[in-house]
Amino acid sequence: MRSGSMGSLALAIVISLPAMLAGQAANVTATFSSTPLSQRVVAYQIAARVDTQKMTIEGDETLTYHNLTGQPQDTFPFHLYLNGFQPKATFMREVRRDHPSFEWKEKNRASAEIKSLQVAGIGDLTSQIRFVAFDDGNTDDQTVFQVKLPHPIAAGDSVQFKIAFHDRLGEVFARTGYRRDFILGAQWFPKVGVWWQGAWNCHQFHSDTEFFADFGTFDVSLTLPRNEVVGASGVEVSSVDNPDGTKTETFHGEDIHDFAWTAEPEYHVFEDTFQGSMGPVKIRLLMQPAHVDQAARHMRILLETMKRFDQWYGPYPYRQLTVVDPPNGALRAGGMEYPTLITGDTTWWMPEGFRFVELALEHEFGHQYWYGMVATNEFENAWLDEGINSYTEVKVLADILGQDRSVLDLWGGTAGDAAFQRNGYLGSTDKDPLSRFAYQYVDSSSYGDITYGKTATVLLTLEKVVGEDTMRRALHVYFMRYRFTHPTQEDFLKTLEEVSGQNLRWYFDQAVYGTQILDYEILKAASDRTDWYLQKPPQEKKGETLYHTTVVVHRKGDFVFPVEVLIKFDNGDSVTEHWDGRDRWVRYSYDKKAKLVSAEVDPGGGVWLDKDFFNNSYVAKEEDSGARTKLVGYWRIFVQFLALWFSWLA
Amino acid sequence: MTQTGILSEGARRVWRYQRVLWWMFLVNFILASCSALPLSARLARVLGNRLGMQELGSRFNVAAFLELSSNPDAAFWAGSTGSMLWALMFLLFVLFLTGGILEAYRTPRKLRTGEFFQSCGTFFWRWVRLLLLFVIVLLPVLILAYKISDWSLSLSDESPQEKLGFWVQMVGLVIVLFLMMAVRLWFDMAQVRAVANEERVMWRTLFRAFRQTFGNFGSLFWMYFRISFLAWVSLAVALWLWVKIPGGRFGLSSLLLELVLLWWIGTRLWQRASETVWFERHQEVVPAPLPAPEPEPEPPVPTAAPAL
Repeated sequence: MRSGSMGSLALAIVISLPAMLAGQAANVTATFSSTPLSQRVVAYQIAARVDTQKMTIEGDETLTYHNLTGQPQDTFPFHLYLNGFQPKATFMREVRRDHPSFEWKEKNRASAEIKSLQVAGIGDLTSQIRFVAFDDGNTDDQTVFQVKLPHPIAAGDSVQFKIAFHDRLGEVFARTGYRRDFILGAQWFPKVGVWWQGAWNCHQFHSDTEFFADFGTFDVSLTLPRNEVVGASGVEVSSVDNPDGTKTETFHGEDIHDFAWTAEPEYHVFEDTFQGSMGPVKIRLLMQPAHVDQAARHMRILLETMKRFDQWYGPYPYRQLTVVDPPNGALRAGGMEYPTLITGDTTWWMPEGFRFVELALEHEFGHQYWYGMVATNEFENAWLDEGINSYTEVKVLADILGQDRSVLDLWGGTAGDAAFQRNGYLGSTDKDPLSRFAYQYVDSSSYGDITYGKTATVLLTLEKVVGEDTMRRALHVYFMRYRFTHPTQEDFLKTLEEVSGQNLRWYFDQAVYGTQILDYEILKAASDRTDWYLQKPPQEKKGETLYHTTVVVHRKGDFVFPVEVLIKFDNGDSVTEHWDGRDRWVRYSYDKKAKLVSAEVDPGGGVWLDKDFFNNSYVAKEEDSGARTKLVGYWRIFVQFLALWFSWLA
Repeated sequence: MTQTGILSEGARRVWRYQRVLWWMFLVNFILASCSALPLSARLARVLGNRLGMQELGSRFNVAAFLELSSNPDAAFWAGSTGSMLWALMFLLFVLFLTGGILEAYRTPRKLRTGEFFQSCGTFFWRWVRLLLLFVIVLLPVLILAYKISDWSLSLSDESPQEKLGFWVQMVGLVIVLFLMMAVRLWFDMAQVRAVANEERVMWRTLFRAFRQTFGNFGSLFWMYFRISFLAWVSLAVALWLWVKIPGGRFGLSSLLLELVLLWWIGTRLWQRASETVWFERHQEVVPAPLPAPEPEPEPPVPTAAPAL
């Protein structure tokens, strides 16, 4: 064949590849719906060749972007997240800022290079690519580029980008990359930004941010060695062996906003089915050889979690969920979510009472709802996915494993997730509000403590105001209303107010937009006989002597929240007071023929946001609940053993 | 004498001098209690007159414990250094007592209290010198332990065989424990020798003890190891029982762990006594133990004053 013919043939293949991919996918649906579930702004068709020796990817992407912005568009921003794994990139700079002892390792370097960018009907615009850094002005950061078209695309029209790219994967540092022969391909293709709230939203990749993209369809073919076991978002359409020893696996995803994949020869595959309200969902679990004895445990928590999400919040519409178990040394790829693909987190030794497996899988599946379908902006409103998901994690795990044992039930030690989340919040109480952009938190600790821990604690405390059932209904309404869209934090807050029928602005202003601390204490509590002034007062007689009892409750923190105060007397009487908390303190006084026994703020529990539970109560007669004896006793025993071991040196 | 004979004779001598065991246990208990007093006072300020923390009394709620331990008023960990010092005081106490203990075990008759403490004082500074030498000799073993730990961590991360790092750590632990026991045994025999022969130059004693210990390593180590094994097994059994005790039954848990401590002190003394018996049986010349004290002369009988 002449070279001209060869060139024509190659061109023909390139041009027809998207059609071929789309044609193959035409008969396969990735959801249970016969009509689109989202506004399919984007349609990605990607053919990728993975070199598992060099850990590179050669990709050809055809992105069809439907301009539903309502206005003409001539400038399009794209994410190239892999470029964040370079020492001068903003991502790494922030890692070093928050962890001054962090040392760069060359094996973690990754890159995404655009070899050519063509626009159908316009031509080659490769030379028009410009890297931008609107967040921090870091000119060394190449995680966002823009391309300007010579003429705008009209509202309602579509534009087709053909992008040839070359990825070099690094050893897993955060979420994506390889370790030995394990590969997790995430954020691996050029991804267009989101037109949101009247402007392009395409942030640089930061150490504390995740992702934000439009819904659409994905048709992806991956060519790699035949011995690789592959998992990906969406559903598998075909697997074809190639003459050169490779195979090409094609996947199709609908109404999703990202596409991740994994490959490793050693995966053991387990499958099960969840009978969802929309149809049977295939669960495909890819386990490491050293963890296969945990496959049943993984499936168990997945099925229980999916059942509750389906019942409480709404249906799971996708036909498949792929669950990936990363190997040792690649746990940084674990505990992560992508549409219809999640990664777990475990090691070979993980006793049943240590619920780390359950926590990770429940949380990552929860993200299928809060992030996957309710696709909030993870750069700007990280609490809306991580925090709401942490709250539902508390509720779901409590229902499955028990409120006080949902995190740990081992060797006599117990821990529940609500307290666990609160412990997280207590680590960073007053530095950043929930509403802060993820990359603007003071440091990564505050980001984690606030977006996860504080949000969960805020929503748990809100149950005290509106009730647990109302919260569940509100989340159901929020999910059903905003799935497959990009809601804002106000959308969520207004939904809470609408469903509860209450004005909750006073709460949101403090809990979401503010950094006020909630802390109530019993400042004083005492009973004094009314005839105290007599030189020789009669002997005290229970039930006859008259006492004046005073209880002062003090609002130590700036967060105003209504609380109950329970006061008990030694004749069996009790009084429950309700205080709106607006003033700095309140005094309750009683004249009774009985003495004070105890006074307690929030006796039923539920004000999880209270920073200090220890000062919430007072008892007139010190009663050792056993805690102090026990703690001091164990400390003593520990020192006894320590002393004995030291004496071995003698 | 057979190994069993040595062990049983050693146990008999510990039993004969069980006052030492009880005193050691008591001092251990008192020193540790002293270390816990500041914590008790701080916790009283936070938990006293409060309703909270029932979940720490009736069971061990980890989240509640973490909250308490991070409470600035409780300052839970503030006493760590102080507790360490109290624990080191016990080391000094045992160091002091060792001379008297070894003298007591090698003497057929019961030592008087004065004799016991005289031996304690006589050998104390020699033991201090030995302790310094012990730490120097142990240093390479500790470095080896650190290197093995580092390697196993690296393997856990790097190796395709996920459990390889764990097994390397386990094998390494066995090796390190063996080396530590061997070194301890060598220095134990040096102490036994020093007391038996009234030796003053410790490095020379150490050298002679090295030859004796490693020339008879099999029988000596086997004797030493069996007692250590009993101590560790008892701890494992006690921990197995401990997790089964309900969280609110602290009294029972405490009693169990104190019994383990008592047993551990006892096994250590059993090792010292057995080493002494072994040394006696393997010496060419057994130096005479302390002579029996001379009876005190009777006071003179008063005589009648001469008549004027």
